[in-house]
Amino acid sequence: MLRRRFLAAIAPRRMAHAHCDIPCGIYDPAPAQIAARTVSRMVELIGQNTGDDVASRNKFARCVQVKETHAENVKREIQIIWSDYFKPEHVEQFPELHDLTWKILKQAGACKQSVDAAAAAELERLVARFTEIFWATKGKPVHTMAAAAEGTALNAIAWEVK
Amino acid sequence: MGRFAAGLRVGLLAGTAAVALVPELRRLSRSWSSRVAVVETSMLPTLRPGDWLLVDPDAYRRRTPDAGDIVVVSDPREPDRLLVKRVVGVGPDGRLDLLGDDPSASTDSREFGPVEPSAVQGRPWARYWPPRRWGSLG
Repeated sequence: MLRRRFLAAIAPRRMAHAHCDIPCGIYDPAPAQIAARTVSRMVELIGQNTGDDVASRNKFARCVQVKETHAENVKREIQIIWSDYFKPEHVEQFPELHDLTWKILKQAGACKQSVDAAAAAELERLVARFTEIFWATKGKPVHTMAAAAEGTALNAIAWEVK
Repeated sequence: MGRFAAGLRVGLLAGTAAVALVPELRRLSRSWSSRVAVVETSMLPTLRPGDWLLVDPDAYRRRTPDAGDIVVVSDPREPDRLLVKRVVGVGPDGRLDLLGDDPSASTDSREFGPVEPSAVQGRPWARYWPPRRWGSLG
């Protein structure tokens, strides 16, 4: 609260554009977060599914398939941001970036191979860290799913205080 | 003598320091009124989006910018908008060639040509936020 008021007080009233006409790609780690959350949820549902009837076996197969697909989505979304969005100066600022990306891709694979709540939670944690770094390089407050309610862009608020 | 002379000397020193500080404080005060927030990325790695800068509006009142200076300038294509770019050359006519520090992602004089020195709104000389990146812009 106090921090927000302080920032609003010292925030500039005008913007100076380090402008570029050519639109850059739109990147957002939100789909990776949703995919990681889905993997966790599927691990839960698979664990609860103990029935031996046809309907249960059908649901079981579907949950495994969704887990497989979304673990793959995590890999794809993270890999795109890593290779297409991040620049060398971002890596300089966050030296853990390459290792973190590698760990996420590995962890997504581990989540396919297992039905393990701890492994899925670790995948979510790594993706959340990746998200923090992403927003830090944009100069904007962290906008993770968990922080979404609180994470309205502080800078935007500050700029709009006239 | 001793005590009086020493007192006088301290007084003179303090007075001189205060007089010397006045222009600095005035520059700080007018720069505070002209502070800007950087948006977009064409000045990476020097300036990042979210950097808040002090801009001295009087810096180029008596002289024109030199090559190498960072300037805040009215966008020649959209005068109500401010741009922040680096001066990379000054033509014989006094007009300024601007370039982004990240030329691969910048719209600048390569696109809109050299700009009039009168379009320059000031000199960003310090970054005051975020605290980790606080300091002079040289």
